[in-house]
Amino acid sequence: MRAVRIPLAIRIPAVVIVFMAAVAVFISERVLTRLQEAQTRHLGDLAAVYLDGLAPALVAPVVREDVWEVFDIVDRARQVHAGLKPTETVVATADGRVLASSNPREHPTWSLLPSSFSAERATAPAIVSHDTEGEAVARRDLSSGDRIVGSVHATFDISPLLAERRSVLITLIGTNAALTFALALTAWLTVRRMMRPVRVLASHLNASPETPVEPIADSLIKTAPREFRGLFAAFNRMAEAVRDREALSRHLAEEERLASLGRLASGMAHEINNPLGGLFNAIDTLKEHGERSDVRRRTIDLIDRGLKGIRDVVRTTLVTYRTDRDVRSLQRADIDDLKLLIEPEVRRKNLTVRWRNESHDELWVSPSVVRQVLLNLLLNACQATPTGGEISFEALVENSSLVAVVGDTGPGLSDSARDVLVGQHDHAVVGSGGGLGLWMVRRLIKEGGGTIVVYPRSPTGTTIRVALPIGDEEGLAHVA
Amino acid sequence: MCRLGHSRREAVSGIMALLAVAGSRSAAAASGELKFGLTPVFLTSDFELLDRLRSYLEHATGSPVRLITRRTYQEITALLLSGQLDAAWICGFPFVANHPRLALVGVPVWRGKPLYRSYLIAERDRRVSGLDDLKGDTHAFSDPDSNSGWLVTAAALARRNLTPERFFSQTIFTYGHRNVVRAVASGLAMSGSVDGYVYEVMRETEPGLIAKTSIVEQSELLGFPPVACSAAAADDARTKQLRSALVGMAEDKNGRAVLRMLRLDGFSIEDPSLFDAIAAEVAIVKGAAG
Repeated sequence: MRAVRIPLAIRIPAVVIVFMAAVAVFISERVLTRLQEAQTRHLGDLAAVYLDGLAPALVAPVVREDVWEVFDIVDRARQVHAGLKPTETVVATADGRVLASSNPREHPTWSLLPSSFSAERATAPAIVSHDTEGEAVARRDLSSGDRIVGSVHATFDISPLLAERRSVLITLIGTNAALTFALALTAWLTVRRMMRPVRVLASHLNASPETPVEPIADSLIKTAPREFRGLFAAFNRMAEAVRDREALSRHLAEEERLASLGRLASGMAHEINNPLGGLFNAIDTLKEHGERSDVRRRTIDLIDRGLKGIRDVVRTTLVTYRTDRDVRSLQRADIDDLKLLIEPEVRRKNLTVRWRNESHDELWVSPSVVRQVLLNLLLNACQATPTGGEISFEALVENSSLVAVVGDTGPGLSDSARDVLVGQHDHAVVGSGGGLGLWMVRRLIKEGGGTIVVYPRSPTGTTIRVALPIGDEEGLAHVA
Repeated sequence: MCRLGHSRREAVSGIMALLAVAGSRSAAAASGELKFGLTPVFLTSDFELLDRLRSYLEHATGSPVRLITRRTYQEITALLLSGQLDAAWICGFPFVANHPRLALVGVPVWRGKPLYRSYLIAERDRRVSGLDDLKGDTHAFSDPDSNSGWLVTAAALARRNLTPERFFSQTIFTYGHRNVVRAVASGLAMSGSVDGYVYEVMRETEPGLIAKTSIVEQSELLGFPPVACSAAAADDARTKQLRSALVGMAEDKNGRAVLRMLRLDGFSIEDPSLFDAIAAEVAIVKGAAG
């Protein structure tokens, strides 16, 4: 699978190189083989002409064992055939002794014919090439009547032929290398050119998730090949759709925020309104019976309690929805305050709340994070639970984490809602009904390094367990 | 190879001479053509030299001239003795061997004298100081009838009670003084007996070949290979014409051109006693062989 990752712009030139190399090897082999054959044939012809020319003149002196005349013939022949380059000519008797050599110092008269010369009998000139030594040896037997009286051997310097072969090989390699390089370069440039629209598309597709999807500019579409224009247009249509969706989801989120703000505001108004009636009554009481000290004291107590209730509601709201993050530690009361905030909803739906707060008096966890998370989960539970149902809340400290468990007796979390909370992908659910709240919960917990688990509850309902690690004093601000 | 004993050679010569008397000579004379034999004593390969020599002789004698060359001295000597040649440039050795039946026409003058030497040569790089160091060699001779190319060395060995066959491991006859030099230069032979005149001329004409050889020993001065005719024809008008043509060569422009090519000064008339030293060597060799 690794090979698939090599870019096309490299792969196609590589294929060209391999293909060209194969062609080059094949052609070079053919050319060199044919050249060698031609050279061997040519050399054989030359050797035949040379030896056939010598043979008739040599027979008589060989029979007479006339050393001088044999030498004279081969010595003169060497001078005559200077172009052929027979480096040495040796005439031997039938019993394999040298009669005379054109190079007598190398092969003296009457010495044994060295094995480097062809030992096979050859009535017609036969040539054997020794490429490694850069020479070829040829042999022709000398016969008088039916009898073989001796043999004539010639050594040819074939190094010019080998040099020619080498130079042909070098030329082939050079030409093929240049051709291969040129074709590979062409292929690379062509593929790069062909791949340019793909790169444009890829760069648009690979844009970071933070930046919005950008449509491809018209100027690029116009210059792109025809096949890609359609593709680009399709991409632009898709980019447009994604942008629309993003805009819609922003719009929905805004609406959701406003709705929750509205709910909160109405809850707050309710909370403030409730004691207000009592307060007005108390003021009326004071007006009428203010002179009575016991009544006055009782009434002022009542007003005091009522105003404190209003103050608590306002303060809790302020604390929860402060935009700037606090550097305070979490108080036990911060969690209990939440009960106050869900009170209107609880009362409205006539729910039973089982509340158990066993967390410590002071914990190094961001209060606003905890409160926003828990408030969102509690409101969600209230919303999910039918009228007259029951919600439960429990907070405790476990393994240096603050653990909160929120339960409801609703119909259970929808798949999409569960996906938002604990799914693989971190994305906001677009749609009605508190999706954004759950997405915020997930994000806040993730930022705080916590975990979230969802259990179904028997016979009906859902339990959500949230754990947030408790940090030290310094880490708090950072975590928050 | 053709190494005949002296008695046998003389016998052959005698038969040839008888045949000559029998009739061939009259036939040669009748044709009116002067037949002049040449041995490989000098550089026979030069055709320009042969042409010039022939045209000079034709001009000087007033009769057509035919130059005849053979591979061996023996063939020329036989032709001369049999009367098929009017005259021939032979060697001192066959002249001495057949003296009563042959007469001198003229002797070439080289470096002011009708004399030359025989050289013993060897490959250039060999460290040898004389004939004794050449024992066991492959030795190149020019011709079994050559004075400088065989007799001188054979006589020197005969004085040591040796023969060339016993002293040298192998002997090669090359039938030409130039060939002796070639054989030694190429390494075919380790040493050789060669005409000093030819060797010195080759020093000018083929210095590359000579450079590969060196002189081991020089003989005493001996009579230069002469131009001879059969004794019977010594006083013929034809022979006289030839003799005056040779002697007058140095006076003629064309003749001088021929002499320049031969590197000779001219021809002179000499007494047969010039060849006594060679005759003495023949006697020594004969004595040893006998």
